[in-house]
This record gives sequence, C-alpha cells and structure tokens, in this order.
Amino acid sequence: MESLADKMVSDDTLLDLKDLYKIYIMGNVEVQALRGINLTIKKGEFISIMGTSGSGKSTLMNIIGCLDKPTKGSYFLEGIDIKTKTEDELSYIRNQKIGFVFQSFNLIARTSAVRNVELPMIYAKMHASDRHKKAKELLDKVGLGERIGHMPNELSGGQRQRVAIARALANEPPIMLADEPTGNLDSKSSVEIMEIFRSLNKEGKTVIIVTHERDIAEYTDRIVTFRDGQIVSDERR
Amino acid sequence: MLLIMENIKLALSSIRANKMRSFLTMLGIIIGISSVITIASLGETSKAVIAKEFESFGKNRVIIYLPYTEDMRDSDYFNMQDIEKVKQKFGDDIVYLAPSGYTNSEAVNGRKKAKVSIEGVANGYEKMINMNLIKGRFISESDIKSRRLISIVDKNMALAIFGTENVVGQNIRISLEGQPVDVKIVGVYEKEKSLFDGMRGSDSTTMYMPYSLFPSQMTYMGNLDMKIVESKSSIEVSQKIADFLAKSKKRESGFYMISTTQGEQSTIDQMLGTLSLAIGAIAAISLLVGGIGIMNIMLVSVTERTREIGIRKSLGARRKDILLQFLVESMIVSATGGIIGTTLGIALATIVSVVLNVPPVVSPSIILVAVAFSAVVGIFFGIYPANRAAKLDPIDALRYE
Repeated sequence: MESLADKMVSDDTLLDLKDLYKIYIMGNVEVQALRGINLTIKKGEFISIMGTSGSGKSTLMNIIGCLDKPTKGSYFLEGIDIKTKTEDELSYIRNQKIGFVFQSFNLIARTSAVRNVELPMIYAKMHASDRHKKAKELLDKVGLGERIGHMPNELSGGQRQRVAIARALANEPPIMLADEPTGNLDSKSSVEIMEIFRSLNKEGKTVIIVTHERDIAEYTDRIVTFRDGQIVSDERR
Repeated sequence: MLLIMENIKLALSSIRANKMRSFLTMLGIIIGISSVITIASLGETSKAVIAKEFESFGKNRVIIYLPYTEDMRDSDYFNMQDIEKVKQKFGDDIVYLAPSGYTNSEAVNGRKKAKVSIEGVANGYEKMINMNLIKGRFISESDIKSRRLISIVDKNMALAIFGTENVVGQNIRISLEGQPVDVKIVGVYEKEKSLFDGMRGSDSTTMYMPYSLFPSQMTYMGNLDMKIVESKSSIEVSQKIADFLAKSKKRESGFYMISTTQGEQSTIDQMLGTLSLAIGAIAAISLLVGGIGIMNIMLVSVTERTREIGIRKSLGARRKDILLQFLVESMIVSATGGIIGTTLGIALATIVSVVLNVPPVVSPSIILVAVAFSAVVGIFFGIYPANRAAKLDPIDALRYE
C-alpha cells in the first residue's frame, strides 16, 4: 500500500507538518484555523500543545490524529502522506498508529471496561481470545485488573480515563494523542493520569498532550504554544 | 466473518438495552408476517379440502349433459345405443360410463321413514368415487342386466330407520317411477364428513340402485356420467366424446355441455389463488409499514448513538464497519420479528383449521418466503439509516452531545 515516497522515512522523525493550513468556510467568511504550521515530532518525545480555546490547537489535534485533513501544506506520519489517503485508509491509520485519549473519556456506554478496550482490536481483526487476553493485560497495566467487567457508569472519572488509556494502547500505536485528558478530573486523578503518560513515555511511546493548563503542560519535555492558528513558542526543557 | 459475529453480538446487546422499543419495532413485522402466513396457509388448506372433496366425487370424472335449447329434439337425448357407440369408440379411455339419473323418494321401514335421493348407477361406480363400503357388496353387472331390485344405502339412513347398520338382506319400500316397490339392501356404505354437508342443508342420504331400473331414463337420458382413465386429460377426452355425440345426432360441435372435476377444480383453485393473493397483498402492505417503522427507529438510534459512531471511527472503524453494524441490527430486529410472526402465523392457521375442522396445511415454501422477505425488509429499510451513520464525519460525531 505504501508508495516509494512513503517509504522515504527519515531517521527518527515521527510526525512532520510543513506549512500546514486549515481553512474553514463559514457562510461567506473564510476562517483560517491553522496558518502555516511547521512542526516536527520525533519518536519518543513527550510533548504538549498548549493554547487557549480558539487558538487552533484542537484543529491541529484533529489533523495529527488523522480525523481531518489539512487544506494546504503537508503532513507526513511515519513517512505516510496523510493528505493523499482516503477516509477508510485514515481509519486504518488511526487504528494502527494513534491512541486517542479524550477529555470526556468517550467510553461506549453500557459496554464493559474490557469490551471497550477490545474495540480497536476488533477493528484490527484480532481474534476474540487474543484480544480479550490483551485487553485484560492492558487493564492490569493501568491498575484496573479488578474492574474489567464494570460498566463505564460504575467507574470514577480517573478510572474511566485509565480504561480509555488502556484502550488507546490496544493496538500498540506509536503515538498517544490526548486531548485535555485531565479536563474532567480532580487534581489527584489528574496527577495519576499524567504519571501514567510519563511512564508510557519512559517505555518509549511518543505522547502528545493537548491542553490549555500550564501545570499539565509542565509534565512534558516540550511545550508548543499556539495563538491564532500559529505557533508562538516551542520550548524544550 | 469476525466482524459479523461482533456485529451480531453488538446488535443483540443494543436490542436488549431497548427491549420495549425493539419489540414495538418488531410488532409491525410480526403482524405482517403472521397475517401473510395465516392467509397463505388458509388458502392452501381450502385448496386441499376442495381437492379431497373432488376426490370423493371422483377423479377425472366427467358429466356430459344436454343443455336446454329452444329447438329441443327427441334425438338429442342419449340412449343405450349411444352409450354402446361411445364404449366402442373410446373404450380404452373410459373407466366408467353410465347414464346418470336420480330421483327423490322416501325409504320406509314399518313406521320409520327417511328421505332418500335414489341414484341409478352402474357397476364400477363405487370405485370411481372411492366409496367406503362397510357392509355387503355393491351393484354387479348381472344386477344391471337382470334389473334386480337391490340397493346400497347410507349407514346413517340404516341407523335412522333400522337402528342398526347391519341391514344387509333387509327390505325397504320406496317409490320408483310412481310405483311403490320393495327393495332389498345388499350393501351399506359410510360417507366421510364433507365440508359441503352443511350447505346441502338436508337430511337426505343417497341410495344407489342399478340404473336399468329407471326405464324412462334409459330412453331419454339427459346426462352421461363417466370416468376417464387417469393417464389422460379428462377435459380433452370428454370434449372428443361430446363432439362425437353431437356429430352422430347432427348437431354442431360444442352442442353438449361438459362438466369435469378437473375443470371445476382448477377454476376453484384459481379463484382461491386469486383471493389469497389479494388478501396476501393487503397483508404484505403491513410488512411495508413495519419496514418503515424499522427505518424510523434505526434513524432515531443512529442519532442517539452519533457519539458512539464517532468514538468507533476514531478507534479505526471504517465506513463499512459502521454500515454493517447498523444493517445487522435492523436485519436482526426484522428477522426476529419474522420468526415470531411465522410462529404466530402457523399457530393462527392451525387454530383456524382446528375450529373449521379441516387439516392444517402450512407449506414450508411460504415460511421460507416470509422469513426471507422480512430479512429483505430489514436490509432495505436499514440501508438508509446505516448509510447515514457510516457517512458521519468523525469530528462532528465526536463533538455531538
């Protein structure tokens, strides 16, 4: 499926965004949500994308997460040109390469924790027994080994987010993409969740956190700040 | 394959989660399918009943009769010579041939009386109508030749005026051609209950006697009663015989009328077929309405689960995965309704058959058609909502509250 150009992966670059624009047409008005973004993220980075609401960080997250395509410019993920991919090909890329963690957890209701974790593996066509085993291991890993049969509404916010993290890890994607992962959590749970991200990064995962809170961004090694659809600062710590 | 199993599980859990709603959605299909099956089965049952009725009248039986015309001639009537001529020419095609005539009378035994319809028949008649002879014998060829005063009577009549069915050898008095005569009973038959018994509305039973005992009918016969060999079409053969008779009496072809069981039966079958088709079509409309109900609920379900669709897409579900998920759900709802409807339909058809005292006939083909049709309804009316779900934009769907 990958063309020759796709295979020209440079060393350890994971994400490569070049002169990227996202333009929405709202009625007669053109809204430039992203204006010429240049961003490279390497394998194993722990990075946060900061900005107030309306800064364009969510649009960027959608594009990085392959939920949306740029209007102009290029986006390469592991050397794959995302702009040329069809909707179903993007689904496959999301399934294999990206682990989403959302602010509102986005667990499927009336579906047990373990079934929620199994979902990405179902779409990866993994066999039932294998994925059940894997899902249990992942829930163990996030400290929910005892609650695999619980429904989302029987879990606390922090526990739900841990299920979501286990689910994001299911197909062992290279990227963890978290959108305000602590936005709906109390400070104690927030710390726990950020610690999980940190340890995942230590294991080699690339973790991207989108947030508007400075103290959450402080957990990461690199903070990219957005304003009005542009990168205003890129600090490594 | 893997996804199909997953989708079935998913659909079942979603149906379970909304039990009442799923049931109400199914109801349209249940009512549609059960009424289609009930009607189709009742159609089949009545066909079977009528076929049986005709069998008791005699398969491939034909009556050629003289119609009423303005310029009636004496020669138009059949006589014994005609019968001989027909037997000579068409002997190989005919199993039974006799003049047919009957007269109403009263059978008397001492003080007890019963109304009877006396039918003059030949030997072999009992085979033609599959008579159930329970005592004694039927009319023989020598009975005809010797014009013996004998009769075969109905068991119910025997019970009515003798109080027993063992009446072989007894005499009854009847009136024949205006003369009172004593007739010896040589046989007793039992008639199966017929659907038309009630319609006849009389307590009269049939009594069989040699046709040669009716002299007036021997010379002026209006009817010829015959059975054509079963390997041939009774309609074709009887047409030839009727034409032959017409020609021999210098009448144009088609002068004599023909009534065949084959013809009558196919006419009635056709009528019944049309009738059940018409009622079935009306019932099928309820299936359509049921299908629209499914579509409506599936659209509601898609809207309610917009966020779930977004989550699934973000986790890697492709369009066809989402499409399949909703399609399988609507198919299961519809097929479950189909199965319940089929069961209900069979039960209803059986109940009606039992009430009408006829054997129930439920053809497997109609069940197959009904269940297949309900699944098709599920696909047809599920496609639109499922496609709508599949086409949702993942970002919009994730944002949906």
